[in-house]
Amino acid sequence: MRIFKKEPDFNFMGKRFLAFTLSGLIIVAGAIALTTKGFNLGIDFSGGTLIEVSFKNYTNENNLRKVLKKIGFGKSEIQRVGRKENKFFIKTIKSIEEENKSQHKFEGVIENQDLGEHEKVAEMIKSAFISEKERASLKGGKIDINNASENKIRNFLITKGASEEDAMESSLKINDLKKNETGLINSFKDLEKLKLRRRVMTILKDNTFLGNFTFLSTEIVGPKVGSDLRSKAILATFWALLGMLIYIAFRFKFVYAFAAVITLFHDILVILSFILFFNVEMSLTVVAAILTLVGYSLNDTIVIFDRVRDNVKLMRREKVESIINRSINQTLTRTIVTSGTTLLTVLALFFFGGEVIHTFSLILIVGILIGTYSSIFQSCAWLKVWEKHFIRRKKI
Amino acid sequence: MKKSMGWKVGLILAVVVFSVWMFYPPKDKINLGLDLKGGMHLILEVQTDEAIRIQTDQSIEQLKSSLKEDGIKFEKVKRVGVNKIEIIGTSFDDERTVKDILEDDFRDWRITYSSNRIIMALRPNIEMKMRDQSVDQALQTIRNRVDEFGVAEPVIQKEGLSGDRLLVQLPGVDDPARVKSLIKSTAMLEWKHVVAGSFPSKEDALKKYGGNLPDDLVILKEKGSKSCYVLRAASVVTGKDLKTARSSVDEYGAPAIGFSLNSRGARKFEKYTSKNIGQRCAIILDNRVLLAPSISAVISSDGIITGRYTSDEVNDMVLMLRSGALPAPMKYLEERTIGPSLGADSIRKGLYACITGLILVLIFMLVFYKGAGINSNVALILNIIILMGILSYFKATLTLPGIAGVILTIGMAVDANVLIFERIKEDIRFGKSPKSAIESGFKKAFLTIFDANLTTIIAAIFLYQFGTGPIKGFSVTLIIGIVASMFTAVFVSRVIFDLIYGKRKKLKKISI
Repeated sequence: MRIFKKEPDFNFMGKRFLAFTLSGLIIVAGAIALTTKGFNLGIDFSGGTLIEVSFKNYTNENNLRKVLKKIGFGKSEIQRVGRKENKFFIKTIKSIEEENKSQHKFEGVIENQDLGEHEKVAEMIKSAFISEKERASLKGGKIDINNASENKIRNFLITKGASEEDAMESSLKINDLKKNETGLINSFKDLEKLKLRRRVMTILKDNTFLGNFTFLSTEIVGPKVGSDLRSKAILATFWALLGMLIYIAFRFKFVYAFAAVITLFHDILVILSFILFFNVEMSLTVVAAILTLVGYSLNDTIVIFDRVRDNVKLMRREKVESIINRSINQTLTRTIVTSGTTLLTVLALFFFGGEVIHTFSLILIVGILIGTYSSIFQSCAWLKVWEKHFIRRKKI
Repeated sequence: MKKSMGWKVGLILAVVVFSVWMFYPPKDKINLGLDLKGGMHLILEVQTDEAIRIQTDQSIEQLKSSLKEDGIKFEKVKRVGVNKIEIIGTSFDDERTVKDILEDDFRDWRITYSSNRIIMALRPNIEMKMRDQSVDQALQTIRNRVDEFGVAEPVIQKEGLSGDRLLVQLPGVDDPARVKSLIKSTAMLEWKHVVAGSFPSKEDALKKYGGNLPDDLVILKEKGSKSCYVLRAASVVTGKDLKTARSSVDEYGAPAIGFSLNSRGARKFEKYTSKNIGQRCAIILDNRVLLAPSISAVISSDGIITGRYTSDEVNDMVLMLRSGALPAPMKYLEERTIGPSLGADSIRKGLYACITGLILVLIFMLVFYKGAGINSNVALILNIIILMGILSYFKATLTLPGIAGVILTIGMAVDANVLIFERIKEDIRFGKSPKSAIESGFKKAFLTIFDANLTTIIAAIFLYQFGTGPIKGFSVTLIIGIVASMFTAVFVSRVIFDLIYGKRKKLKKISI
């Protein structure tokens, strides 16, 4: 199958000023967005507490906010995960400035610099979600199967008179039952399906209840780690860029390395602009996604540069523009096919990969489009820029 | 021709068999990251300042007794900052002997003399060594505790550039609160003489001394309540004198902690108890009084600590006492707990996305390149098999971003094939015979593939170097995937072409 009947002959170089303008506008808009609202930093970088909580019965953001308001966390970010399930991310952030102030105040008192406060936040939120009825059951010595660890369930069964073997087996089975989409057991009917010993089942029915919610994950990041990770991410980007630059300069000529690095900066700036526009939360995985795209885009660029290098030898008489145009056109099918297959997989990741890597895959999708655009419209254009201003006799 | 084909096919088969053998069955062979199997990820910072402070305080005690022994008068010895000692008011006549004592016994300190004060500062190289040691010791202590607690495949290592951070990863732990306190407790065990108490609050205790507590006494709270004891500051014995601790029961059969002191400790304890029968001696853990029983008989080496403990609490305390005290307190910088259900959900979804992506790519390649598409599809599947094999061989950890890396690899791995196929098509269009087009297509595309992939690998290596947890997992799969794709797309695809078309003398058309 072919995309083009014969070798395509688009005048990409003719559009380079249009492309410069377009990218320039995006980056300027990004810079404005940066100064006006700044990045939406996730807890990886800002520090704070992020909880993923799953509810058995239907609830919504407003209900949760009401509960959180009572304990003074009404301003927390609440985000529903998926449509069917009642899963939410709750993020309570403490800004870095605030943290620095409080650290200053408590200087020398180690306990107060601890994560302790954040930990308390998680505990407070947990206890706020417990209903009055459940609280009464807990006070009456019952345990909440949905919030008890395997170990706790086992020990509990033993103290209630189950044999060690039964307790072990049952707690394992119960734990496995919780490994579903919601992390919860809905009703005792589901428990009955496990075919536990009758004795165990009676203990469970008499002494336990199935709580309405569970914390699927709790992440607490202190402010120090956040700033540390930020500098690490910047370092990683810097060294990766330098490494690639050196390699290209070594394998090609300097002019290619120059154009490649400008293209990379372009990619990073444009992706960051989109991150700002869509208010995507900056996390470690987002940084990983950006760096991956840098690699991907460079891969694309090099394939084209490789062709340019070949064609410079074959088409000595031709103008630089037409050599470059020819090279881009010759590799165009490959560029489209590879972007296409990569997009297919990333789309699969986006639609089926689950919430945790949703942003990651979203950025990959946008980034692959940007990378493809930049290797066609930006990288070679910068070759031309360098050639025009710095190279007198030889071409590129 | 035939002969060389033989070893090529053999090599491919060997690689595939080895890979499958490495990762089959995947459930046991592939090392899942915390985000996939659930567990705890902690980053702790050892408060090395505190370790230095403790060291300085000990030196001050030593200094005081040395000065007293030699009959040198001084007004005051105090700590300045964490690493300096100031001696105030030694009389000038004594300077000679003071110098002798200091320079003989306190070589780790840089000493400056002025008119009526002496300032001792811990030498920077010694201080650095002490800080390093306290981190190493903390690491070892945590390892002991985790090992005794029985976590499978824990990761405990230094982290970051500052040198005082520890990374602790505990897969499968679903009781975070218990583990956290277990790791963090300094576990300083002490026995101190009870002077008075208990008092309902610290203020009440102070009142007894007119609001001014003598230097050699301390007030400590009781664990889990507000009541306080006034104790002699100097310990009778400490955790350092402990030989072992074990879970035990008291006379009523309730859980209790049994302990044995070593011979030095036993001697000290025997001497102390024989003099103080009828008095009370407090057992203190991390500056909280556990209990303050009265001494009813001379005790030398063995005893039990009773209280209203659950058997879990007793086990944890025994474990901490056995693994030794931490040299300095620690602070949690980061803590991530992933429940087992979330991990299982992530695996399911990641796998689903992987398979969907793979099928989409396979179909696409088949439609676009027809016969050659089958070739690249075989190469792609081999690629994934080899990727899994290498992952297992290096015992690399598969994380959720790692799965994303696998998915991305699927998309990018076919790139090498696409490059080759497009070159072949191009050459055929130029009128080359299919056979020589295959030949030149592979040859021309190879350098491109090599350059393009190597730059991506460079980026991935830096990701690995600077990245933490999830990013590392991602870059590892990416690197392995790319390397494997070079093998499968370039080498395996070529062999497949040769196997199919190599024998035919006249090849007019190939399906591409």
